Amino acid sequence: MAPQHSPPASAFTYPQSYSFPPFFTLQPNLQTRLSQLRKWSRLIQRYCRHEHIFKLSLVTALDTTLFKNASLRKRLSLNDALQVVDWMTRDEGGRRAEWIDGGVEANGGTVWVFWKRPEEWADVVASWVEETGQRNTVLTLYELMNGEMTVGQGMISREQRLDMSAHGMLDFHGMDAELFHRCLAVLVKRGKAQVFGSEDQQGVKFF
Amino acid sequence: MFLQPLDLTTALRPTLLPDEALLFVQDAVGLYEGKYKIPGLQNGHAYLTTHRACYVDNLEPRKSSIAVELKNVDRYEFYAGFLKSSAKITLHPKAPKRASIQSRSHSTISNTQRAAQSPSRSSTASPVQRGASPLLSSGSGSGTPRPSTATWVCTICSFSNPVPATFDPATANSNTPLPACVTCGVKPSFPHVLKASIANAAGRQGSQPQSHAPVQPLLESHGQYSENSSIEYIEAQWREESALPVKSRFQCPRCTFLNHPSLLACELCGAPLLSTESKAADVLGENIARPESPGPSLDSSSFGVDNEPECVKFSFRAGGEKIFHERLKGAMVQRKWLLQNAPPVPDFSAGNVGITAIGIDGQVRQPLERARTVGIAGLERQGLELRKKNEAVIGSAFEDLDALMLSAKEVVALAESFAKKSDEGSADANQLIVESAKALDMVTTKEMLGSSSGSESLYLSEMSRNLAEYLTDDAKGILRKEGGIMSLVDLWAVFNRARGGVELISPMEFEKAARLWEKLKLPVRLRQFKNGLLVVQQADRTDDKTIAQLLSLLQDLHTSSSSSEVGWGHEIFGRGITAQEAAQRFGWSVGVASEELEMAEEKGALCREEGIEGLRFWENWIVDDQSDDFDDDIKVDPFYEVDPVLKNLEDMGIF
Repeated sequence: MAPQHSPPASAFTYPQSYSFPPFFTLQPNLQTRLSQLRKWSRLIQRYCRHEHIFKLSLVTALDTTLFKNASLRKRLSLNDALQVVDWMTRDEGGRRAEWIDGGVEANGGTVWVFWKRPEEWADVVASWVEETGQRNTVLTLYELMNGEMTVGQGMISREQRLDMSAHGMLDFHGMDAELFHRCLAVLVKRGKAQVFGSEDQQGVKFF
Repeated sequence: MFLQPLDLTTALRPTLLPDEALLFVQDAVGLYEGKYKIPGLQNGHAYLTTHRACYVDNLEPRKSSIAVELKNVDRYEFYAGFLKSSAKITLHPKAPKRASIQSRSHSTISNTQRAAQSPSRSSTASPVQRGASPLLSSGSGSGTPRPSTATWVCTICSFSNPVPATFDPATANSNTPLPACVTCGVKPSFPHVLKASIANAAGRQGSQPQSHAPVQPLLESHGQYSENSSIEYIEAQWREESALPVKSRFQCPRCTFLNHPSLLACELCGAPLLSTESKAADVLGENIARPESPGPSLDSSSFGVDNEPECVKFSFRAGGEKIFHERLKGAMVQRKWLLQNAPPVPDFSAGNVGITAIGIDGQVRQPLERARTVGIAGLERQGLELRKKNEAVIGSAFEDLDALMLSAKEVVALAESFAKKSDEGSADANQLIVESAKALDMVTTKEMLGSSSGSESLYLSEMSRNLAEYLTDDAKGILRKEGGIMSLVDLWAVFNRARGGVELISPMEFEKAARLWEKLKLPVRLRQFKNGLLVVQQADRTDDKTIAQLLSLLQDLHTSSSSSEVGWGHEIFGRGITAQEAAQRFGWSVGVASEELEMAEEKGALCREEGIEGLRFWENWIVDDQSDDFDDDIKVDPFYEVDPVLKNLEDMGIF
């Protein structure tokens, strides 16, 4: 049932609703629709985490198995997908997504999918720093995102992950740079980090 | 049993007997027994039919509704209302058995006295006829039917003249010589006499003889009526009156003149004679037998259908009493209840020539005796006579409208027999006649209803009941044919067609009437779908029932449908249905089916799947939140911004 993270090539397990044809039609009944949106939100987040996706382009994603069930020959229409994601970006959807570059129409509907929100990522990074004793050392952003130190972050086994999630440690290795900046900005605001340096050579110091 | 329990239709209207027709309806009517209101019967509808006067309560129609059979009504009175007292119509029951015995003995006594007085001549004339008085109808208390000769009432002097025995309504025409009135000598019009003779024939074999009963045996004993007997008659009448025993006459309290008992005012001084004894004598001792005063008050326990009320009053609180009275008068004169056992067609010439008449049931009746003509000549003659006879009936029926009303039964019988004869192949025509006859029964027309201020709403509510009856009629099965639900427009068309093109209803009134169903608690209801479509269905058929019906159909599909359609959790989710499938399954129209499915979807019981093949509806597995829950930390719940101050405090480790 639960997604298998190692090896990453392991198949994503779709929820039961994924094989229910009406799931691919946005329901007019408000209550049914709410349940449907919640289920879609959950599915998209789980899918993105499994595939390690931070930015999702709806236009291209429509042809992936996320929105298309080949065995049913059903898929969510672009319009419906936009509505699902739009719901995710709003408060009632838990702000689990955010439009990139202004709005639904632009850029073929590219969104951040926050299977963790920047604040949550900040917590993860902070506790990782704590765990690994990196306080008061200066690290470059490149090191953090692509360096060997954080490799395990993305490749840990499920058992480990369950163990570590107690400490809030999750995979930020290979995170999108822009999102990582936002995550650091949260830490800076909290007074737990300081970012310095110029464009390509940025460093960060954790307190 | 003066007051009788009343059977109601599903729409809470009186169930009509065969041949019974609705004459008038009025709302806001209360019931009195004698002077006292009857508890629980104070607000209802009064239905006047050709046979009965009915009261249907508004609040508890099934419990407290009663009917008064008009044949048990001796007489009726009209009270126009005064200040706060509403107009009332009083119905007096027929005298009970002992009173009628008394009245009969009274009349026999006077007869013998009369006979003793003038054995040879008095029998030519009517003894005490003075125009139309309540005495006339009460004289028929003796229930034995007697053969009678017809009488016609002179329009000039209102004297009841006998119709000459030679006058045969079947063969007579306007050229037939008619005798003049015995008293005033004015010749009557032909239709007038014809009407009288037909009316007499219609009422002849009923339990109640025609109103001029006392005249008839006398006339018969005398035989032929002679034209020059008017002087003799007057003489006889004088002798008659002076011969009346003093006791049976009434002395005027003012001038002491001895008046005839049937007079209401003193002949000499005009003083009213309506007081005690005179009134009693007036109705032939009925009131002597029954003491005047009822109990001091009427408590609810004492009132029942079984005990005989002194009289019953209908109190008209919202008007309509005049028309009610008028129609009641008409009904009492027409006495349609007698028609139930009436002879098929009056056969006036049965005595001399044997002819074949068409019976009410369309069967050919054999004459009592036949002229012995055999062979083709006999057959031809028979046919000729039959044609003559039918021609006469039709001719007399169309003579004028009243006569038509009186001979309605014969005419309908003829029409039916013609329809049967005309062609077995033309079933359509036959059907048409039957249907139009049926349609006549079910029409609620505006003229049947009171003309008070609320008449519009009364009309609508009657129409509403009418419709409900029509819909719930099991014989027609209108709703059942349509799967228990049909659109209002369809119903309108069907209903108007059933009325046979008479008294059509406008769509606006129709809708208004339909909207009243709920208010009147009738067994059908009007429903509006969200696209505005108005449909009619049984009141007990709720949305929940429909949903249950749909769900059970979908449940069946879990197991029943073909196993080839794999690819999704077929055994879990079942299969979707289209509106067409549902319509086919339940006998609905497709429009109705899709509306019902959408209704179920709106209630959350179903969900939809839009596909290339069209719209399908499924059981709603989407709302079931449990099926997809995993143990991961994915959050989909609404996001609430944390108060920044609190957040800062938290960050600083204070909170």
